[in-house]
Amino acid sequence: MYDKVIEVKGLTKEYKELKAVDDLSFDVYEKEILGLLGPNGSGKSTTINSILSLLKYSSGTINIFGKEMKPDAYDIKRDIGVIFQEVAVFQELTVYDNIDYFCGLYISDKNRRKQYVEDAIELVSIGNYKKFYPKQLSGGLLRRLNIACGIAHKPKLIFLDEPTVAVDPQSRNNILEGIRKLRDNGATILYTTHYMEEVEQLCDRIIIIDKGKIIASGTSDSLKKLAKIEEKITVEIHRLSEEFLEKAKKLEHATDAFYDGKMLIVSYNGGKNNIANMIDFLRQNNLSYLKVYSERPSLNDVFLELTGKELRD
Amino acid sequence: MFIHNFKYSLKVLLKNKQLVFWTLAFPIIMAVLFNMAFSDIENNEKFDAVHIAVVDDEDFRNNKMFSETLKSLSDGEDKVFEINYVDEEKAKKMLEDSEIKGYLKIVGSEPEITINSNGVEETIFCHVIDEIKSDSSIVQDLGMKYVMQKIRSGEYQMDFNQAFTEIADEMMDSDVSVKDNSPDNISFVMIEYYSLIAMACMYSGLLSMTLMNYRLANISAVGKRSAVSPAKKGGMIMGSLAASFLVQIIGLVMLYLIMIFYVKVDFGNNMPMIILLSFVGSLAGLSLGVAVSVLIKAGENAKLTALIGVVMAGCFFAGMMGIMMKNIIDKNAPIVNYINPVAMITDGFYTLYYYNGLDRFYIDVISLLIFSAVMILISLRGLRRQRYDSI
Ligand SMILES: Nc1ncnc2c1ncn2[C@@H]1O[C@H](COP(=O)(O)OP(=O)(O)OP(=O)(O)O)[C@@H](O)[C@H]1O
Ligand SMILES: [Mg+2]
Repeated sequence: MYDKVIEVKGLTKEYKELKAVDDLSFDVYEKEILGLLGPNGSGKSTTINSILSLLKYSSGTINIFGKEMKPDAYDIKRDIGVIFQEVAVFQELTVYDNIDYFCGLYISDKNRRKQYVEDAIELVSIGNYKKFYPKQLSGGLLRRLNIACGIAHKPKLIFLDEPTVAVDPQSRNNILEGIRKLRDNGATILYTTHYMEEVEQLCDRIIIIDKGKIIASGTSDSLKKLAKIEEKITVEIHRLSEEFLEKAKKLEHATDAFYDGKMLIVSYNGGKNNIANMIDFLRQNNLSYLKVYSERPSLNDVFLELTGKELRD
Repeated sequence: MFIHNFKYSLKVLLKNKQLVFWTLAFPIIMAVLFNMAFSDIENNEKFDAVHIAVVDDEDFRNNKMFSETLKSLSDGEDKVFEINYVDEEKAKKMLEDSEIKGYLKIVGSEPEITINSNGVEETIFCHVIDEIKSDSSIVQDLGMKYVMQKIRSGEYQMDFNQAFTEIADEMMDSDVSVKDNSPDNISFVMIEYYSLIAMACMYSGLLSMTLMNYRLANISAVGKRSAVSPAKKGGMIMGSLAASFLVQIIGLVMLYLIMIFYVKVDFGNNMPMIILLSFVGSLAGLSLGVAVSVLIKAGENAKLTALIGVVMAGCFFAGMMGIMMKNIIDKNAPIVNYINPVAMITDGFYTLYYYNGLDRFYIDVISLLIFSAVMILISLRGLRRQRYDSI
């Protein structure tokens, strides 16, 4: 069938002078989780809302399931599920009724719907709260309800716009787990976030955007190569003189080092025994340290390398 | 889709405490409060005649309808007015000194009322004069008919005094009769109850507006969710409106039951007409709510404020907070009455109560239907424009 589930070509959305989305082109393939990663205001929600025909975009074409997406493309909408950044539920309806209501916009068969609603409740583990009203739920549970409302009808294509914003770690893990299950059941997922850990854990492919433009895309590993570093070693150390910082910079394979009063961070572009060499270096110079650990470069380093600023402020 | 939306819309409305209060409880509470306030007035204080003045000039003396009727209303046990026949200067002075509640001056054949506050007695004064005026137009009609008859039968010489007596007799006999203007009959209390019902009708706009807000993607996140679903807007909106209408009817039935059986308001034998008027009044309220939701580009709270503001302004111009306003509008800006649904509803009630013909009542009903149609049409146009939900 269709390999490309979503095709976006030259999408541009202007708000007066501001180009919120600037000539964006990308595809989403069947059964993948594509992560759209970018800082606040980079145009993630604008992109999603344009793809969904909620926004009138300035130019570009958008095809979903091989057909042009339009406000009245009901046959396409039937197979889409959306979880918006804002929680979208009726305050006056219970957890169960909210899910049943939204599921009912897609599925009219009552028995099937009943099963679907139960499945959705199970997926996000809110079985104990069926009779609760939204305002009785904690932030994390509310987010989970929000997700259940968007996916209860078992859509083939799911959009999630920052579903884990302001969520406790337990709910976050639960949500990420649920999303993986959806993919395993055959859904294609477009996921936006500004948490790089999430895309690293979850996404098959990642697009990094900034100021409405794609600045890099690929798998997590291929992106990290762009950071031009292979390893980062962090040393917790209370005192470090300028002299030793300069020496650290000259360690084998080291490309850079800096000290912020607590941590010494050294970047390497290769080498196998960097951590052992570091410990030797500390011992030889009688530097007393608390902890030493090694990290692979993160997407933040990629972002830093490409834009000169941090992904998170 | 219609049933699904209808069912859940009903749940949403009945679960929303604020809505239930304003549309179901508030009118009933007001009715009960009115009852407490008015039963005091009616039982404890025997009705005192209202002190007024009449500018006793040529025009007044020539206007038999006014001079005779006012004369009969100002004598006897239960007289309505204590009348001072004076010149205009003196009447003004008396009003300034608060010796009288207001004065009447006939200009040509039109009555002009001057009052300077808005109390119950001023209300009575204005209403009696209104009524005499409408009766006099009935008399004029009958008079025309009488004259035409005489002319057709070849009688050109007429004794007009005798003609007046004959017409008056005919009016007593026919079902088009001038009403008895005793204080029981002009119950200003009814005016308040009618305004209350009109307000309750218009508050149905809160119901439809709340649901519409949930339908519109540019207003609410829930609206965005609906917009990305394959459900068609039309079906969803119809389900919502049907649910709003049902809740509104439940509210009105409760209000009428309380008014009839507890407050013991006498609606006379016009119940079917009153029900018809309440129905179309509610329709006007619902469509106003839809229009405010669709057309006013602002947040939910701003829309709520706008809707309540429009309804309260309507009530104000229709005389709910005092009849003086209604008189000012009637006299200086009658156009307002043609676009003010509250005025159409209260006018419908007044018409049922005071006039025996139904023509004007039907004009009110039709005006309300036109008002509703206009609101719905401009809302539809607004919705079409938003092909993209432009969040
Ligand atoms: N209605 C609007 N009018 C004008 N500018 C807007 C409007 N909506 C969004 N923007 C601007 O467009 C840019 C992109 O916004 P968008 O909401 O798509 O960002 P985002 O990546 O989703 O950010 P976040 O992580 O905060 O959700 C921002 O600069 C924002 O200020
Ligand atoms: Mg966003």
